[in-house]
This record gives sequence, C-alpha cells and structure tokens, in this order.
Amino acid sequence: MTETSAFAELMAVWSSGPMLSIALTLGGFLAGQWMFARFGRPLWMPPVLIASVLLAIVVALSGLGFAQYEQGARWLTVLLGPATVALGVPLYQQMHHIRALWLPILVTLPVAATLAAAYALMIAWAMNASPLVLASLAPKSVTAPIAMGIAEQLGGSISLTLGALLITGVLACLFVDWVARWLDIKDDRIIGFALGLNGHAIATARAFEISPTAGAFSSLGMGLTGVFTALFLPLAFVWV
Amino acid sequence: MVMLRGFLVLVVFFLLGEALRVLAGLPVSGGVLGMVMMTFTLMVRGRVSDELAEASRGLISLLVMLITPGVVGVFFIVDQFAGHWTTVLVSLVVGTLLSVITTLLLMKKVAGAGEKHD
Repeated sequence: MTETSAFAELMAVWSSGPMLSIALTLGGFLAGQWMFARFGRPLWMPPVLIASVLLAIVVALSGLGFAQYEQGARWLTVLLGPATVALGVPLYQQMHHIRALWLPILVTLPVAATLAAAYALMIAWAMNASPLVLASLAPKSVTAPIAMGIAEQLGGSISLTLGALLITGVLACLFVDWVARWLDIKDDRIIGFALGLNGHAIATARAFEISPTAGAFSSLGMGLTGVFTALFLPLAFVWV
Repeated sequence: MVMLRGFLVLVVFFLLGEALRVLAGLPVSGGVLGMVMMTFTLMVRGRVSDELAEASRGLISLLVMLITPGVVGVFFIVDQFAGHWTTVLVSLVVGTLLSVITTLLLMKKVAGAGEKHD
C-alpha cells in the first residue's frame, strides 16, 4: 500500500511540471529513430509511428493520462509555429527548381493539391461522415504543422487529422512506388514531386532515400501543397 | 548565439504572421502566413544568412518530434470516433491512390517525361 502511494506521490511531483512529458517525448523520438534504423527502414513503419506507439503505451500504463501528458508536451509543441515559418527557407532555396520546371509545376500543383483533398472528402461525404470528420480529413496531404493550423481553422479534431496524416503519408510512399512503376516513370523529379505533394514529410523522408533530386522536389511539392492548401482550403470551406 | 539569432528571426516572423492573420481576418494559421512572408522576404533580399539557414535546418529536423505528442493523441481518440474509422480508412486509401495516380499522370503528360533524369 505504502509503495503504491509513494509511486502516486512521485508521479504527482513529476507531472506537476512539464519535464516528465518533455523527457518522454525526447526519449520516444530517439527510440523511434533508433528502432526504425534497426528494422531496416521499412516504408510502412516510419519513426513517428514507432515513437507514438511507444509513448501511447507508456502514457496509458504509467497512469499519467493523455491530458496531463499533452499539457506538459505543449512546451515542445509551441515550437511548431516557428518551425512552420522555417519551411520558408528551403522553399526559397529551391526557387531555381521551380523556375526550371515552372510549367508542369504550375499546371499540376493546383489541380493535384485540390484533388488530394477532394477525392478523400467526396468519398467520406458519400459515406455520411460528420462535419467534424470532414474538417479533420481535409488537410490530410499537408505537412503536419500546416495541417494542424488548417484543421484548427476548419474546426476539426487535431488528433484525427494527425492520424489521417500518418496513414496518408505511409500510403503515399507505397502508392507512388507502385504507380510510378506501373506508368513507367523514372524521372526522380516527378517521383519526388508526387511524393511530397501527396505524402508530406513522411513521403519526403522517403524521397531523400531515393536521391537528393527526389528529396528536393519532394520538399518543393510538400511546401507548395502546404501553402496552396492552407490558403485555399479554409476559403473553400467558408464558401461551401 | 548564432543559432539564437536565427531562431529570433523565425519567432518574429511567426508573430508577424499572427499579426497579419488577426488584422486582416484571414482564415489561415499564423505559421503559414509567416512562412509565406519569410519566402517573399528572402526572394527580395536574394540570399539567406547562415544563422537563419542553421536555425531553420535545426528546427525542421525536429519537426517529427514536435508532431509526435499530437500523433500519440490518435490512440486515445479511437473510442471517440468509434463509428467513423471505416469511413476514414476507405476515404484515405482510395483518395490517396486516386490522387497519386492523378499527380503522376499529370506531371508525366505536362513534363513530357519518359526522359530519364539522374
């Protein structure tokens, strides 16, 4: 009995500040990276998935609870704001790529970025999804910090959005691989752009494994889709 | 110190983005507006300072860690969206497959691809 209460007391002290949540998040992140490398970098299991499964288990079993954990972790997640701003730097650095391939990018981006959201939304709508689910799915192809901002603006659930993002990112890696082979596309610029446009940061990490060119075009596709969707989706939602 | 200077620039642009969002009443997050302002500022200046490049690279490499707490939340809302998961999964799988096919076809058509690029 005393042992239990001592543990409870310790948990109360540890979780009174954000340090426990911060330590767990850093530990989970590093463990996820390490295990990902150990498993041979499987496409279907990105580090963020490993890290969040580990953390969910610890948070549930320790009795800390998600609400308490999230409150402490907010000390880290506030950095998402400046991290989103930071994406503007590589976007500028790749400006010469945009100039070199401006026509296909200009034609593809608005159509493909709109359809990336519209296909899933139409299917979900046809299956009678609630407005909350629709708002959470809308930014599914957009990089996380931007998607969280969009979901917030549309009134979606941040957690559901992140779940949708995770699933979409993993699927995009697999599908781009299959479809590119099926269509006999070997241009790394096109494969990279398709990865970033559809599968945001998870697919961009995959693109950098293919080649630096694919990685650069994936960052470009991710950045442009993020900006385009962030600017037009909330406006489109207001009109509809 | 070098890192801090770059970080300060990023935070200031985030605050400017928030200011633009509130003052112009835009339905877009402050981070995104800050990012757009950052890109345009760099285009006008024509170069990136080392400290800014350094700070942004550091922060971008931590992106995965910064979104992890939110992803953890997914496992705690499984019950809350109990009836919705089939819808979510079907729309994501079919939607993503369709949009990947569309993107690759469009790019191939317009870029006149087929020519290899290494």
